[in-house]
Amino acid sequence: MCENGFTDPRLLSGVYINSCTFKTQSYPKPDRTVTHDEGIDMTSEIEPSACSCDDGNCACGTGGCACGSGKCTETIGDSSDQGPEMPDLGQGWTTGDLDEEWEAHAEEKLETVDFDVELGVEMSRDAMRLARGELTEAEFHDKHHEAIKAEFGIDERPTKSTPLEATRGGDGNALPGVPAVEGSGLSSRRGLMKAIGGLAATGATASVAGCLDQDAGGSASATDGDGGDNEVQMGMVIDTDQCIACLKCSEACKEENNTDRGAQWMHVFRYEEDEYGETRAGQMPRPCQHCSEPSCTYVCPTQSRFKREEDGIVVTDYDRCIGCKYCEVACPYGVNFLGKNEPTEKSPGFFGSETDQNDRHVGGPPPAGVMGKCTFCVHRQDDSAQRGTTACEDDCPVDAIHFGDMNDSESDPREYLRENDEETRFKLLEQQGNEPNIVYLGNEPSNEAKPVDGPYTYEDVGLETLAEDGGDD
Amino acid sequence: MSTGVLEDRVLYPLENTSRRFYALLAVFVLTTILFLVAWVYQLNVGVWAATGIGDWGISGGVPWGLYIGGFVWWIGLAHGGIAISAAVRVINVDRFAPIARVSEVLTVLALSMAATNIVLSMGRPDRIFNTIIWWPATVHHSPLAWDIAVISLYLVLSLTYLTLSLRAEIAAFRDRLPVHFSPLYVLLTLGYSTSEDEKIEQILWWLAVAILALVPLLSGGVVPWLFSLIAAQPGWFGAAAGAAMLTESLTSALAGVIVITAIFRWAYDWDDVIDERIFRDLAIVLAFLALATIWFTMHDILTGVYAAPTNIGALTTAMLELSFFWLAVIGLVVSVVALFVMIGWPEQFFSIPALVGVSVILSITILNKKVMFVVEGLMFPTAPPLTNLYPTGSYSPTLVEWWLFIGTIFLAGFGFLVASKVIPMVELDPEEVN
Ligand code: SF4
Ligand code: SF4
Repeated sequence: MCENGFTDPRLLSGVYINSCTFKTQSYPKPDRTVTHDEGIDMTSEIEPSACSCDDGNCACGTGGCACGSGKCTETIGDSSDQGPEMPDLGQGWTTGDLDEEWEAHAEEKLETVDFDVELGVEMSRDAMRLARGELTEAEFHDKHHEAIKAEFGIDERPTKSTPLEATRGGDGNALPGVPAVEGSGLSSRRGLMKAIGGLAATGATASVAGCLDQDAGGSASATDGDGGDNEVQMGMVIDTDQCIACLKCSEACKEENNTDRGAQWMHVFRYEEDEYGETRAGQMPRPCQHCSEPSCTYVCPTQSRFKREEDGIVVTDYDRCIGCKYCEVACPYGVNFLGKNEPTEKSPGFFGSETDQNDRHVGGPPPAGVMGKCTFCVHRQDDSAQRGTTACEDDCPVDAIHFGDMNDSESDPREYLRENDEETRFKLLEQQGNEPNIVYLGNEPSNEAKPVDGPYTYEDVGLETLAEDGGDD
Repeated sequence: MSTGVLEDRVLYPLENTSRRFYALLAVFVLTTILFLVAWVYQLNVGVWAATGIGDWGISGGVPWGLYIGGFVWWIGLAHGGIAISAAVRVINVDRFAPIARVSEVLTVLALSMAATNIVLSMGRPDRIFNTIIWWPATVHHSPLAWDIAVISLYLVLSLTYLTLSLRAEIAAFRDRLPVHFSPLYVLLTLGYSTSEDEKIEQILWWLAVAILALVPLLSGGVVPWLFSLIAAQPGWFGAAAGAAMLTESLTSALAGVIVITAIFRWAYDWDDVIDERIFRDLAIVLAFLALATIWFTMHDILTGVYAAPTNIGALTTAMLELSFFWLAVIGLVVSVVALFVMIGWPEQFFSIPALVGVSVILSITILNKKVMFVVEGLMFPTAPPLTNLYPTGSYSPTLVEWWLFIGTIFLAGFGFLVASKVIPMVELDPEEVN
């Protein structure tokens, strides 16, 4: 049984375990009807044995469940993509709203990830005890600290008091990063820009070097297509079939980077489309694509927007940007948000390093009037303890996001691609020529895809609420 | 009219100040103060809060609005203005000489107002000089850096042009010009001797040729490139934007010159200085320019609705539903019809007030078209499947935005008012004096 008091029932302890259930919010699902009202027959085609009722009084007929009182849930046995109805994160959920169906779905997804499910379940139980007051917070953390450390390599809880230590090296300074790459190749677009530059500018040495943070005078080096010209090119593989549109990544990003109200550096599209007469629902998380041919950097009149040489991350120099919004206009992905100085309640502030290893102010939320967007948690990349991680990846309960060097065949994303080589894959808006570094697994949304409300909205998870001190000016 | 009388008439505003002038001055000072108040407000709350602009993408905003549309409009006026003046010199049509000076001044003022609009649109206007500091590094790749280059180049060219053409005149009429601007006149005529006149004429002619040659590249190139190179916004992308924009620019510039010249003619009773025939000839040019603008609009629509790629088709269809679009079409059609009636039957229908009326309609129509071009491109951003997943953008300028933009028009008016007290607004021939 659950008690009120958990603000986020979706996630207790970093893995997706849901012992409590909540009011369901229906979002259209094509091939199954699930009702959760008391005493009403479940009409879905399920295994009778998969029925369970929270009052233990379960009657199963062929193809359906019926409960005496309380809630009835079905458990889906097969590994079909269609998960059960996702629980709503209304803040008013109660213990009566158990949804074992959802738990089963989540557990099933969890089977496919490397995390320790038992640990999660155990933590969830304790978390409920915590909520009931049977356990103090300190006891809770004590009990699980070691296990979490072992499982995730890091235990941030109780998060908010220690993040500074977590993101800094021992001496308090951000540690030096990956060594800089010498030289670069000029690909077609850059070559053209260089040619124009040569025409327009005074010197023949003209190049777009600056906007790529690279020495374009260097000799061209062949690199593989995926990662563009940077020897190290951070990127992501995002498995849209694995994604459950829980918005944990958006939320984690907001907490980590303290972004403004309304700014979702990591946005999760939830959509429906018609597939030969059938309605198909889908979801697609969308960070900045950290393009290899980033149109945003080309257009910037101050070279504030640039691509880091050391890891191919595209960031904005917050101290130099004039807020002309040209990068926003030139980006085909719609990932830019002008800084407004409207922090939300979600985040206590930004605790990472604001300056990168080259001392440019690129980390965290943009100051007012300056352009911001997903930084691939650049403050983590310059910190040896957290290098190679992002907040969204860390918090994804179903391990749908894989972050790493796209040019390194041993990296997590590349490995994941190999493991799932049967799956269809796509890059978003590839025809635009930006050479994005996010690879998606699953079906690409069609040109007819229509946005629909997901199981959670940003309001649900409190992403839109202004912080007390957030200036609304 | 004898030369002496012409001089008297042209120099009259420099020697005398009427009550009407003071009234107008008061109005402009007031509007300037209001402009500054609105700007300070915008600086305080931030451009994102004071204006209707927002972020495209999930927020469904439009990052560029009235200011950028206004910027393009001002640039059009500026380039067209200097082109008219240069054309007068290169083709050597003395008859049009009286409008040359007004066109030159318009260019200088319009360029300044274009720059002002850019500054208004920026999130961090205090950092404007970063564009200059980093210009050597960004000019290779950023269309905005090209624009800064073009605007600066044009400002230099038009100021040089204006200054050179003024030297002989100022030197000749020095004693009749207001004393309190003496330092300026000394500066302008530094090292002047009558022997340079011929040389200066030659230099001016070549400058004019250079300006004319640059107009298509700059007004029909660099400014439209700001948009047409951006593949992310299908509403902008394309090669024909340059030609269309050049035509629109020339149309609005000519309309602007007509309006301002007519105002000066009316204010100083210059009926004898600026002949009505000039206006008739300008009306003919304007009629054909406006017709060309309609032609480009038709071209746009037809390619957009006839078997166009789905998102371009959707974009055009959506545009056809915008009332602003139909306002623009009506404005163009009405102007063209009126202009052709005027030039066809001048005896019955031509009058300067009517021409000014049509010119005002055309200027507003083209402003509308430019703002629509900017905003519309951003309302239906990107390509599918993202274009269908993101909400359609929406934008409506706030009062502050309207006021600041209209304020730039008043500022330009203020500029004209001041200029009319400093330099002769109609070119005089100094040789007649000497
Ligand atoms: S997605 Fe947009 S903002 Fe991000 S790197 Fe590419 S062009 Fe730039
Ligand atoms: S808004 Fe800033 S980062 Fe973007 S193009 Fe302008 S100056 Fe560059």
